[in-house]
Amino acid sequence: MTGQTDILIVLIAVTAVLATMFLIRPNMTAGATGKILAFVGLFVLPALCVAGGISVHTQRSEETQFCISCHSMEPFGRSLYVDDPKYIPAIHFQDHRVPAGQACFACHADYSLFGPLRDKLRGVTRIYMQYVSRPPNPIRIPGGYNNDQCLYCHAGARNFIENPIHSAIMDTLTSNQLSCVSSGCHDLIHNVSELDHLKFWKPER
Amino acid sequence: MNRRDAAMQKVLRVSSALIIVGLLAEVASLLWFHPLAFVLFVFIGASLLGLGMLLYLLSLVFVVSASGENRRGPAE
Repeated sequence: MTGQTDILIVLIAVTAVLATMFLIRPNMTAGATGKILAFVGLFVLPALCVAGGISVHTQRSEETQFCISCHSMEPFGRSLYVDDPKYIPAIHFQDHRVPAGQACFACHADYSLFGPLRDKLRGVTRIYMQYVSRPPNPIRIPGGYNNDQCLYCHAGARNFIENPIHSAIMDTLTSNQLSCVSSGCHDLIHNVSELDHLKFWKPER
Repeated sequence: MNRRDAAMQKVLRVSSALIIVGLLAEVASLLWFHPLAFVLFVFIGASLLGLGMLLYLLSLVFVVSASGENRRGPAE
């Protein structure tokens, strides 16, 4: 548990104590002190609990462990350990080119202004697919992988712009006309159907 | 205690109960590391907390409007 979660648990406990007091003795609100206490216990603190809960759950949903806790995402989590540097997600995860604890989020987040909101809404539809309907098979990103997610980190990086292939097709990359993960380029991504035939890296504890 | 006070206290009790159940759902969602914990928090915890807070605010409006009516008196 993080420090923020601990603070939230304390806040929830205080709110619960106050709410229980008003549940047992609602006539406490007759006096001025009781009225103020009721406003704090039945409005201010619950509002803080909701805000804190949203913050904690939002942070938690960015963790790699959270993403791969869905059954259909397990193979994608396994693919991060493929022992082959040509596999793009694996090498980013293993070499800490992205924070290992937020590996999925780092490469799949929508970095636009309303991106986090869109991501959460998409997340809810995926939970619906996982538990109510059925996840698509194979799992694919609707509309394909957006180059902006690669360029968020790589744009402007020396080894990226000095690469002659990249510089020759820079406009098509930035305009998303040609995907970074196109066939012949960085096309070895999660490839979950091939996982049974691959070697895996076992990190030393 | 008149009928209006009794009704007010009942509203406060319901509001408190909703908030307590909402908080319990929130605690459960925080202790459960699973995508469904987010659903539990948003659709049950936060909804119950919001409903409890709304009910409490409505009870305040109810008190203010009731005391206003009392001040105006029966002649009006």
